Amino acid sequence: MKRRFQEIEHTADIAIRVWGRDLAELFANAAYGMACQLADPAAVTLSVEHEVELEAYDLETLLVTWLGELLYLGERDGMVFPACQVLEITATTVRAVAQGGPVEEYHGHVKAVTFSNLNVECTDAGCETMIVFDV
Amino acid sequence: MAQKKDFKRVDRYIWELPQDFRDDMRVPVRLFGDAELFDMAFRDRTVEQLTNTATLPGIVKYAMAMPDFHQGYGFPIGGVAAIDAQTGVISPGGVGYDINCGVRLLASHLERGEIEPEVENLTATLYQTCPSGVGGKGRERVSDRELEELVMDGAKWALKRGLARREDVACTEEQGHLAGADPSQLSKRAWERGRDQVGSLGAGNHFLEIDVVSEVYDAKAAEAFGLWQGQVVVQIHCGSRGFGHQVCDDYVKSLQPAVKKYNIQIPDRELVCAPINSPEGQAYYGAMACAVNYAFVNRQVLVMGVREAFERVLAGKVRDFDLFQVYDVAHNIAKFEEHDLDGRRTRLCVHRKGATRAFGPGYAGLPAAYRDVGQPVLVPGSMGTASYVLVGTRKAMDLTFGSTCHGAGRTMSRTQARKSVWGADLRQELEGQGIVIRAGSNKGLAEEAPAAYKDVSQVVEVVHGLGIARRVARLEPMAVIKG
Repeated sequence: MKRRFQEIEHTADIAIRVWGRDLAELFANAAYGMACQLADPAAVTLSVEHEVELEAYDLETLLVTWLGELLYLGERDGMVFPACQVLEITATTVRAVAQGGPVEEYHGHVKAVTFSNLNVECTDAGCETMIVFDV
Repeated sequence: MAQKKDFKRVDRYIWELPQDFRDDMRVPVRLFGDAELFDMAFRDRTVEQLTNTATLPGIVKYAMAMPDFHQGYGFPIGGVAAIDAQTGVISPGGVGYDINCGVRLLASHLERGEIEPEVENLTATLYQTCPSGVGGKGRERVSDRELEELVMDGAKWALKRGLARREDVACTEEQGHLAGADPSQLSKRAWERGRDQVGSLGAGNHFLEIDVVSEVYDAKAAEAFGLWQGQVVVQIHCGSRGFGHQVCDDYVKSLQPAVKKYNIQIPDRELVCAPINSPEGQAYYGAMACAVNYAFVNRQVLVMGVREAFERVLAGKVRDFDLFQVYDVAHNIAKFEEHDLDGRRTRLCVHRKGATRAFGPGYAGLPAAYRDVGQPVLVPGSMGTASYVLVGTRKAMDLTFGSTCHGAGRTMSRTQARKSVWGADLRQELEGQGIVIRAGSNKGLAEEAPAAYKDVSQVVEVVHGLGIARRVARLEPMAVIKG
């Protein structure tokens, strides 16, 4: 399987490059990439499920809103959500199921998902973007 | 992208990129640093981000980066942009997610030797009385009604609640209260995240430190600030927590359509902005001011935690365990200020992102004791290294709209830091130097390793040499608490 995400050097914050065969996979992989910054996903028992439905101004705003939602739910309940299935997605709406569970030990903190150099590109080969997290 | 050769050196410490370098620049770019620091600007996207900042409508004079600059998002860290309040824009990306992240300095009447036998105990107690860590709950939980008053009144709320002394409030930038806060501009989620984090440090690079004044450079200013060699002091570094992050997040998203509506061209979407006088710009300012006030209260409530720990551990053992506040500075903020611009007093919206206000002598907003010397500027170094107390200058008013550096500034990514430094080794090394450490995780410790930062003394040398702040005292850590 193709790599889901990769960390990119950033002096102060965390940047990742994310890939997906399509938008749905890109969004799921971005959620996984973010979860990996917070805790070891292997140590998280998938005991909780949230159905999430979101709408935004455009595709990039949707991606920021999606990851921000997972960050918020995680911070509220002390959880991370490494496993997500995107059920429906358009350029401005997403419906997905986020699976995760409580975290024993956080190994990082993400304050927010930024728009810095955020640009979702999709071609026949798939979708790709860079995401910078404020930490 | 601009290269070194595109810059001209206009002073020993000033490097300028002319406005005609890129068509969309409205003003030239100015980087402050010595030759070595200037070189560092080309190792990441600092220059590109600063050049982008120079395109913001209404920006005056220069887009500037203080010598602790490094790549951020939108603005670079260390970025200062003064924007005409009548014709310009306000940008949430120019303030950042941790709105009014800042530093507070408390000073004791104790010498190092007096607390040395108790420093382990004191650190352990501080760890209890000053909550830290990811998502950590604060010392105070407030109702919606209380939160509304808190974000409207800032430190005045704390005073009313018995969580502050009058002198604490007086010795805080803006007296701990930024006018113009409008709670009706806050999202439901901001309310929710704000309720239970008042009085918490958080994680990341935030910390609480017990330091000792190891050197005094300027006796007059040090005396005015109540500082003397050998004195035990405490630094608190944190911001507006989840509340502030939510405000920034809300407005970076909701202002995206405004950029199109007002036909503003921005080279990076994180530089999203709206005219200051538009409903969108006003809404952001009103919400941001709420977060600014929240952060002032957050640090104030932590002061009570620090005082409680000092009393618990030191009462009966030392002659005077009390702590007084030297000052509190914001380093992520946008504020309306009046500055001389080509001979005319002009109202500007000064964005400081990873930069500290450094107003010189004579500024009426300062406590009487500081008015003749200038405002205290607090510059924490990286973990385990020195920090500095500086004083603001008139030259800063002329050169940088009364701004200076805010810290050491990162130079190595977190991934790289983790690869080259082991948290456990670092802990041992710091403990070997006699520094007591309390940290949430070794990984977090490794990311904040001193090797990942510039040398704070070098950064301070530049601002001192340039005259945009003057050295007053140097602090060395005795104990560090990290989230």
